[in-house]
Amino acid sequence: MARGERSRWPASAPRLALLWLALFAADPGQADDDALTVLSWGGAYERAQQAALFSPYTAATGTPIEVAQYDGGLEGLRRAVAEGEVPWDLIDMTRSEAMAACAEGLLEPLSPALLAPAPDGTPAEEDFLPDSFGRCAITHSIFATVVAYRRDAFPGKRPDSIADLFDQRRFPGPRALQRTPAVNLEWALLSYRVPHEELYGLLSTRRGLDLTLARLDELDEIRWWEAGDVPPRLLAEGEVVMASGYNGRFFDAMVNRGVPIEILWDGQVQEHETWAIPRGAANPEMARDFLRFATTTDRLADLSRHIPYGPARRSAAVRVTTHPDSGVDMRLHIPTHPLNAENALAKDEAWYARTLGRIQDYFRAWLEAREGQ
Amino acid sequence: MAGGASLALGREATYTLGMDTLPARPASGRGPLAVVRFLGLVLLGALVGAVAALAAVAFVSAVLALNELLLISPRSRMMFDHPALLLAATVAVPALGGLVVGQLHRAIPERRPHAPADVIAAVQTRRGRLPARAGSISALSALVSLGSGASVGQYGPLVHLGATLGSLGARLLRLGRSDDNITIACGVAAAIATAFNAPLAGIVFAHEVVLRHYALRAFAPVAAAALVGYVIATNVLERGALFHVAETAVPRPWEFVAFLAIGGLGALVAGAYMHAILGVTRLAGALTLAPSLRPALAGTLLGLTALWVPDILGMGQETLRFATIAGAFGSAELLLVLVLKIAATGLCLGMGFSGGVFSPALVIGTLFGALCGSLVGQFSGAPQETFVFYAVCGMVAVTSPVIGAPLTSLLIVFELTGSYALTTAALASVTLASPIAAQLFGRSLFDIQLEQRGLDLSAGRGRAVLRTTPVAEHLTDDCVTLHPQTPVAEAVTALCRARHGEGYLVDDRGRYRGCVGLADLEAARESSTGPTRVGEVATLARPVLRPDTSLWDAMAELQDVTGEALPVVDPAADDAFRGVVFESSIARAYLAHSDELRREEHGTG
Repeated sequence: MARGERSRWPASAPRLALLWLALFAADPGQADDDALTVLSWGGAYERAQQAALFSPYTAATGTPIEVAQYDGGLEGLRRAVAEGEVPWDLIDMTRSEAMAACAEGLLEPLSPALLAPAPDGTPAEEDFLPDSFGRCAITHSIFATVVAYRRDAFPGKRPDSIADLFDQRRFPGPRALQRTPAVNLEWALLSYRVPHEELYGLLSTRRGLDLTLARLDELDEIRWWEAGDVPPRLLAEGEVVMASGYNGRFFDAMVNRGVPIEILWDGQVQEHETWAIPRGAANPEMARDFLRFATTTDRLADLSRHIPYGPARRSAAVRVTTHPDSGVDMRLHIPTHPLNAENALAKDEAWYARTLGRIQDYFRAWLEAREGQ
Repeated sequence: MAGGASLALGREATYTLGMDTLPARPASGRGPLAVVRFLGLVLLGALVGAVAALAAVAFVSAVLALNELLLISPRSRMMFDHPALLLAATVAVPALGGLVVGQLHRAIPERRPHAPADVIAAVQTRRGRLPARAGSISALSALVSLGSGASVGQYGPLVHLGATLGSLGARLLRLGRSDDNITIACGVAAAIATAFNAPLAGIVFAHEVVLRHYALRAFAPVAAAALVGYVIATNVLERGALFHVAETAVPRPWEFVAFLAIGGLGALVAGAYMHAILGVTRLAGALTLAPSLRPALAGTLLGLTALWVPDILGMGQETLRFATIAGAFGSAELLLVLVLKIAATGLCLGMGFSGGVFSPALVIGTLFGALCGSLVGQFSGAPQETFVFYAVCGMVAVTSPVIGAPLTSLLIVFELTGSYALTTAALASVTLASPIAAQLFGRSLFDIQLEQRGLDLSAGRGRAVLRTTPVAEHLTDDCVTLHPQTPVAEAVTALCRARHGEGYLVDDRGRYRGCVGLADLEAARESSTGPTRVGEVATLARPVLRPDTSLWDAMAELQDVTGEALPVVDPAADDAFRGVVFESSIARAYLAHSDELRREEHGTG
């Protein structure tokens, strides 16, 4: 495991450069057949990963990284594992999907033992936030699904509660929502002012599900999105006045592209973004090596400078600084900041892992009925 | 016998007499030692509060865990993806739970779970000393009942558990009955404060339902216990408040009329609910099925009904929440769930499941309020902004008569919502609900149950204490017994020697045959034609007491008697003569009890 040992060296810049030179001098032709294929989410997220993880890794090890586009869901993975042709070595997936995939046997088991300790020597088990280690997945960042709205859409008013997403009287205009039950159901039920603790118990009843869909039905016009780059675009183009989306994408539109939008943090649904290795991956050892590299304190802190995701390591969270281009203080834009996290909802991953299929069927039936009208 | 003469004037005179002849002891709340002792009691209250609160937290967590494990909670039912097995479990879990509960109750002497009514009885009769074994078995059987989805409440078992722990604390420290009562109240207050996250409601509940008097001496320890319970609850139990109210909604003036009406009708719903429980209890007694198997039958019926309407399973937290949301139920659906929930709870509690009456009453009341709210909405066409007001009014209108605690119900609303508007609306409902239900049915379900067991608390603690104190405690054999065949002269000598004015006739078989006075015996001795044997002398009209006659009844008998003592005769043993109780003993005991109560209720420390 020569590569594994190398990556454990202190990552000081001159040594890395030397190493990079040495690798390329010694074996310039290995890159293509030995490339690491990562399935990730594209857009600003992929650009941030490129800057903070992929390029530095290639620089440090000489291993090129190819990125495949992922839009969530398990169908592709299921098919690939069944056919024995898994084109990816590592997948960046949400924790709920990782749990479901793990239960189906689509992922390799992962041990937290492969993770590097914090710079001060704190073992990884203590440094990572609670619930970061699954059987097959390791959390690297916390992101949130939030609502963003156009600042110019509601003169003299601004939404301050998630219930405002459904308030067409005070905040008229089309909405963009993700074409999944997740998050939409939670928000719709939260709009009835139920406490967070009881949310999933209530969603587990036919009555609760009916209430949520009745709330969604109250919206006149919903633009359904699937890829994460759509909602910021719809907002930017003025197609919708409010949209759900990933906080990182909205940040990108706001700070990098000057789109006049604001994030409504109330009711943000936090999710863990994890690394997982699919069963039957071509280069599982290389994937583990990259995983160790990409979850070091330095890399996680650097990733949070490029995209406002909360690092899963405490040691990384305190090292988050400013956005490299705009100089924006990134701590205020990450979902785990105390001001933003006040009314955050923890997604019940165990619930989703066991019910996703049925909930999706239920949601799809409603969607078809709505669209058939 | 001046005491006896004045006593005959009735109760008013008794109290006046008490002040004269038994001057209240110097108030114990003066001096540094008394202060230290009092502070010790407050500290003990806090300690009892901590233990009771931790027990309550553990109990609540265990119930939640069991509900997840046994597929009772909606969340676990949703996550369990085997429809056929889920149906089987819905029936099997309550049935098997009932079977376990029935077996557990065989280990309790009364063959029934102990409940808040037992706590009230122990405090109101100043008996204290709640049995630890029956208490822990009852807690365990309540845990099984709640865990397996029986339609019963959790607050009753928590109150009883807290009270049992408090009483245990007093016993371990060898404290007196007064202090035992206070530590029981501490356990109760802490349990309510923890379970509802409402310290004021805990304090008031302990006073309103358990102690039924207000004394500064009890207030401080009870408040300390409630406070500790609250602190523990806020740090350990993370639970959502029962209600949420939109800040903007304020009911219009005419809606208060509706809230009042909900109060009046809620009293009737409460009556129906209480009588469902009492009625099933009566019917269950007529069943040929062994008592230990009755809960299993109830569980099976409950499970079968739950296949159709799952809302009736368990404590019904989700149902409660939905009932506060306008549009979650249709009116017909509200009525159906309301009726089924009353029936299910009556069935479970009447057939011997262990658990409280409060949580189901919360659900029933809220459903009832929601029904009223949706009807008002339909007829007035008003927007449903104030819907939650109707739900909450219905809730307090049904719960407060059931537990006999209007102030506690109000405070629970106030502490859970922090909404003054909602509390005033609830006040409108309670104003009518509690007195109407008290007139029609009784002060609370607990009081009705106790009355059926022979303890009448309707005239307060004074009578209850005297009614439960057997007069036989003051039995003495310091009297002259005479055989009917004894010559009159011999009897006169015997009485004179013993310095008694009355003798009691007891025959060969030890049976009581009457009472003769020294004056009549003297007259017979002087008369040449009169009787020669004691048995022939006219006996005095003298009521007899039984060994289980209460002090209260003995006092009533004394009203028509002038004499020395009352004989105690045991009808169970063929009218055997057991001894006598001196009238002065009865009067003294009566005054001593009154004095103790007075000190307990009016003492400061």
